[in-house]
Amino acid sequence: MSADNTYSEQELVDRLKSQDNQAFSYLYDNYSNALYGIIKQIVGDTEVSNDVMQEVFVNIWKKVDTYDASKGKLFTWMLNIARNASIDKLRSRNFQQSLKQVPLTESEMAHPVVRPGLDDFGLKKVIYKLKGEQRMLIDLSYYQGYTHDQIAKALNIPLGTVKTRLRAALSQLRNLLN
Amino acid sequence: MNIKEYISSGIVESYVLGLASDAERQEFEAMSLQYPELVEAKIQFEDVLEKKMMAEGIQPPAALKEKIENSIQPSANPLYTDMYEEEQAPVRTTNPWKWVAAASIVLLAGSLVWAIFLNSEKNELASENNQLKEQLSSTAANADECRDMATALHRPGLRLAPLHGTNASPASLATVYWDTTSHDVYLIVNNLPAPASDQQYQLWALINDQPVDLGVFEMKQEKLLVKMKNVTNAEAFAITLEPRGGSPAPTLNAMHTYGKL
Repeated sequence: MSADNTYSEQELVDRLKSQDNQAFSYLYDNYSNALYGIIKQIVGDTEVSNDVMQEVFVNIWKKVDTYDASKGKLFTWMLNIARNASIDKLRSRNFQQSLKQVPLTESEMAHPVVRPGLDDFGLKKVIYKLKGEQRMLIDLSYYQGYTHDQIAKALNIPLGTVKTRLRAALSQLRNLLN
Repeated sequence: MNIKEYISSGIVESYVLGLASDAERQEFEAMSLQYPELVEAKIQFEDVLEKKMMAEGIQPPAALKEKIENSIQPSANPLYTDMYEEEQAPVRTTNPWKWVAAASIVLLAGSLVWAIFLNSEKNELASENNQLKEQLSSTAANADECRDMATALHRPGLRLAPLHGTNASPASLATVYWDTTSHDVYLIVNNLPAPASDQQYQLWALINDQPVDLGVFEMKQEKLLVKMKNVTNAEAFAITLEPRGGSPAPTLNAMHTYGKL
């Protein structure tokens, strides 16, 4: 493949579906930084991030047949694969033990984990412009993968309130992105 | 909710970022079929998100690409090719019935082991099943309770009285919800000092300054809302500390909180 070769999204998807190695290489060159960014922000550790990255691209390659363009863009689909894999890793027993992470407590709620250096770029930088509670809700749900239910229990507020406030926070996030 | 409110409710972002619940996702997809402006809003958010994240990422280690590319190649050396190649067995003649007998013994022993295994598995599953049933029924009971509380709090005609601490106990705080229609009384203990073991708090309703007993309550409540005795009329509520079991009339100098409706 020549360096200046570019594909439209549709073309790229079609080529990936026919298991075209060059298309995979192109996909990696184009999207690896963005996906590695989100993985690293969730997982933190470089070694583990590399493992997750490999798992994510292998999954994209294997599951590209199930990608449905009518449901969303290719990037959105890959972003969700990357986020889910990162959070699964975060929740996996081995990783938990290696980090000696404790279950979600109120004190963690009050001081969500801030990983120095990883919070000042991309989506997270935008999220850190939100006010305290909104930032915390997005951090807990998007970056730490806690369910609405877990957040409601830990913060001792009703589930419905968590949903409404999180939605308001996301709506605010969109305003900041625009 | 109209479609504009729905679009700006944060559901679009929630859906795209993978934070929506299954029900929310299904609803969103159904709505998308009906409202092109919802699809438009989704695509717009996907675009800004992609642009933002593509502009700022982290470069992975250079060696990672090759490693990943290798791992998607179909393996050139399948692992198990030579494993089952049969060796030539020496030819011998034996009475075939011996083989049948030997095979039956092996089969019998095998099925015994298998039966024992299945039986222990069955027992395990049965006990797991019971545990799950118990968990389910207690969870369902919890859910019912929460639903009842939620319904109770959303009833029209519900009035709220915050009970503030008295001079004797300034930090005390409790909240009473009184349903003017059903006359139900619910109490939330926000903050009360722990009583001695022979004492209990008692809630009173006050009508024309006359106290009406609404019952005693424990401090350690698993429930958020404690249902107290009903009262048909009330102007104010108060909590006093009484001997365990409660008193017929309130001990006024042990009044901890007081609040008017």
